[in-house]
Order: sequence, then C-alpha cells, then structure tokens
Amino acid sequence: MSALIEARDLTKKYGAHVALDRANFSVEAGRIVGLIGPNGAGKTTALRAILGLTAYEGQLQVLGHEPFRERTALMHDACFIADVAVLPAWLRVDQAIDFVAGVHPRFRRDRAVSLLAKADITGERRMRELSKGMKTQVHLALAMAIDAKLLVLDEPTLGLDILARRAFYDALVNDYMDETRTILITTHQVEEVENLLTDVLFIDKGRIVLDSSLDDIATRYAAVAVASDNLDAARAEKPFHERPMLGKVVLYYEQPNLEKLAALGEVHAMSVADLFVAKLSGGAE
Amino acid sequence: MNIAIWLIRREFWENRAIWMIPVVIGGLMILIALFGRVDLMSISPVPVQAVGGGFLLAVGATFFAVMSIYSTWYLLDCLYADRKDRSVLFWKSMPISDAATVLSKLATALIVIPAVYFAAADLTTLIMAFIVSVRWSSSIDGALWHADLWLQLQALWLYMIVTTALWYLPIAAYLLVVSAWAKRAVMLWSLLPPLALVLAERWFFDSHVILGTIGERLLGYPAQAFRDDPGCCSWVTAAVGNDTITAPTGIWGFFNVAGFFSSAETWIGAAVGAALIVCAIQLRTRRTEI
Repeated sequence: MSALIEARDLTKKYGAHVALDRANFSVEAGRIVGLIGPNGAGKTTALRAILGLTAYEGQLQVLGHEPFRERTALMHDACFIADVAVLPAWLRVDQAIDFVAGVHPRFRRDRAVSLLAKADITGERRMRELSKGMKTQVHLALAMAIDAKLLVLDEPTLGLDILARRAFYDALVNDYMDETRTILITTHQVEEVENLLTDVLFIDKGRIVLDSSLDDIATRYAAVAVASDNLDAARAEKPFHERPMLGKVVLYYEQPNLEKLAALGEVHAMSVADLFVAKLSGGAE
Repeated sequence: MNIAIWLIRREFWENRAIWMIPVVIGGLMILIALFGRVDLMSISPVPVQAVGGGFLLAVGATFFAVMSIYSTWYLLDCLYADRKDRSVLFWKSMPISDAATVLSKLATALIVIPAVYFAAADLTTLIMAFIVSVRWSSSIDGALWHADLWLQLQALWLYMIVTTALWYLPIAAYLLVVSAWAKRAVMLWSLLPPLALVLAERWFFDSHVILGTIGERLLGYPAQAFRDDPGCCSWVTAAVGNDTITAPTGIWGFFNVAGFFSSAETWIGAAVGAALIVCAIQLRTRRTEI
C-alpha cells in the first residue's frame, strides 16, 4: 500500500453545515503535503477526521487504520500538533518528556532532550512560564522525537513571530524530514511553507479543488505579465485568472502555449500562493 | 499497566491538591496538638477505648469530610479542564485510549485519593498521639497507644474505601459524564438535570420517587455499610465533666460486610455506574473541544 492516507467521499456535517463535502484525496508516503484553504474551508475538520478526533461519513484509511475507531492504534504510528500552545499550563518540560517516554513506545528520549537543549529550554520550567514560541518548540521537540510515519501539523505557527516560525520550519526540514516520514500540514501562510512542500491539496467549501505535486504545478501552469497593448492577444489564449499589477496585467494559464506567450510578455513560474488565489477566486479579480 | 501508572502520575502532577490539602489538614491538626489548650486531665478517667477511639475517629472523619468535597470537585473538573484549555489535543495525540483516560480519572477519585487521605490521616494520628502523650504524660497514654484501636482504624478506612467506591460509583460516573459533556459551568450542569427530573416528576405525577432515590444514594451509605443495632457490640459509659458519653468498646461489630455486599441496592447502583462510565467514555471520544 503506497497511499498513507486515502479518503473517499469523506463527509462531515455539523447540523445543516457541511464542513466536508465528499472530499477525495490521497497522500503518498515520503511527501510533505500542504492542505491549503481559506478559513472555514474544512481544513481542520479534515485533519480531525484523519486523526480520529471526530466521527465522519465516507471512507477513510490512515496507515491502514480507520481513524475514529482505531485512534489509539493509529497514534503509535502517527503524531500531531493540532494548533499552537496546547500543552497544559501546569505541565513541566521534564514531566512532558517523562510522560511521553512512559506511554509512547516509539519515543526517543535522547532526541527530545537534545532538541530542547538546542532551544535552550530547561526541564524544570512549566509551560505557563514559557512564551508561545518556546511552547511550540517544546511540542515540536516531543513530536520530532517520536518515530512516527505520519506527522500532522494544524496551523503550527499561528501567532508566532517570524523568528519562531523560521526556527520551527528549519527544525522540521533539517532535523526531522527524511524519506521514511510524511508530513501533512495546514496553514494560512502559504508563502512560508511553499518551499518545503512537495504536494498541495487545495480545499474550498469542504471539497478538494486541486490535488497536485509542486513539480506538476511548475510544468502545468504559467504566469505571464503583459503590457496593455498585448492584453487582447494574451486573453485569447484563455487564461483562467488575471490580476492587474504595476501597470501590467498578470495572466495565469493552465497548460500554456509557452512559445506564443513568451512573445506577449514575461513568463514566470506560478507560485502556490498565486495558484491558490486564482483557483479559489476564479475569473478576474 | 504501565500506561495506567503514568496516567495516575499525570493526575498528581496536574492536581497537586490531591496531596497538598491532606498535608495542610494534617499540619493544622498537629499544630493544634502542639499548642492547643485542651484540658485532657478532666477526661482522664474515661475508659481507654472511648477516649482513644473518639480521638482517632474525629481525626479520620475530618479527613473524610474534606476528601468527599474535593473528590466531587475533582470528578467534575477532570474531563472538562483539558477541553477548556485545549490540552486534550495533546493528550489525544498519545497512543492512549479514551477508556483508559476516563478509567484513570475514576480510579484516581475512588481509590487513589482515598488512599492518600488514609495515609495522611494515619500519619497525623500517629504524630498527634505522640505529641499528646508527651505533653500530658502517662494519664492518656494507654488510650492512644492501643494496638487494637489502631487495627480497628485501619480496618475502618479500608472497609470504607472499598464500600464507598462501590456505593458512590453511580454518583462518580454521573459527575464524569457531566465533566465530559458540559461546555461550561460543570457545577451547574451537574445539579440541573436531577433537579429538573425531580421537579418534573412532582409536577406531572405528584410523586417523589426520583428525589427519594437520589437522597437514598447520597445519604444512605452509612445505613448500608454499617449496622445500626445497639446490640451488635458492647458499650461503655463514662462521665466527662458534667456530660456522660457512651462509646462502643470496639467497631468490629458495626461492619455490615455481608449485608452491604448482598444488598440489591449496592449492585443496582454499580450497574448504573458502569453504564454511565460507558457513556462518559463515548462522550470523551466524540467531544474533543469545547
């Protein structure tokens, strides 16, 4: 089985509100996947379903488990940081390490200790005494010391300053990620994770609107900045989105005819952030 | 098993009051023994069992009363607090089942906390007996250093831990259900449903079966676990100042072991408790956040 996560017609309703509407997606092993969507698109609901924290309709397999019914077994192989700063205020850093070491068979204490030493966080401190950034570092150190096949991060850097955010992602990429790991991450700040993702899932109104690798995005889409005199010719090439910028107009194309477009203006690769905006707002801005 | 130990240890970390409150009570009692102005001479002619037993029971009862209040609060808070501060998201990222979590809270309230209070009460009575013996010399010694009395006290505590755990299981389980379910104001939510049921019954049927059942569960424990029969043991009477006190010479005769464990009420309550525990586990699985 190569797909680590396989969702088919995944649906979650809260009363009349449909948070997930027959979402289909899969995540392969060894990838870093960004689940990206506007507020209320169903990102967190999707993660909660994947982690077994909520009941759902449809089919969902994560590491061969049905998450809601088999959360305990799933948590041997998967790990998550749902939201920032959820470590309880009364917990001491050394207690947190002792506890996870006591209950988690895949936890490697030496690793957690060295990660915390690197971050200059000592064992006797309580979470309530730590800044939000430090708390996140503690949680990340605990998660990274678990030999999990899947790590799920839900808005892991929300509310952190730029230094803490950078430290977080550096640690993740340099000290954690290897070919045996898979990371699923949701965030608002697309630009910040763009460089570390291998795949993206765009979600909107509970549905998956794009499921693609970053390599595919690079070859499949292009952005062309054209001056106003070439605009009509450029529009004839059927852009799916356009956006005025500094006296020019940037047009976005799927499977573009690059030779033709190069004659009309400057051709760029499309960033994930641009693609996200284009896909989710549709048409011209 | 290993996980159970860590879950219990976690409860001690989070709820330091589990051991701090009994330490404070014990400390206060020891202070009273050290500096209190009790005229023990006046009661010195009282028979050994009455004074010693009364003293030991009073200490134990104080601990027990405080413990009942604390345990109630603990049960209401334990599944609510981590949802409120969202740390439930951390605990649920560990390979620990919701059943293990809920049962660890139940065991803490019904077994671990009573054991801590038992130990604290024992230690306190030992230290107090020592202080009193030194302060008032030999007149009272015989009453306090009485092997049979101590043995009776240990037996009483152990008997009460086992029987209260069983008798109050439905109450404890109900409090866990509220704790796992309520979005706010756990205290209020724990009172409202029974109150509403009692009032509804009174309104529609003009009866009070529910009130009677709840009252019997809350207050009926002594009648179930202990014999209320003056003939069950021998008594001594003695004058203390102008008063006369009557005390049993031993408490063995009061234990209603066979009666308690063969009572239908005991086991119906335990069955209701078990059903409510299943309910609390289900709620814990489904209700992650507030």
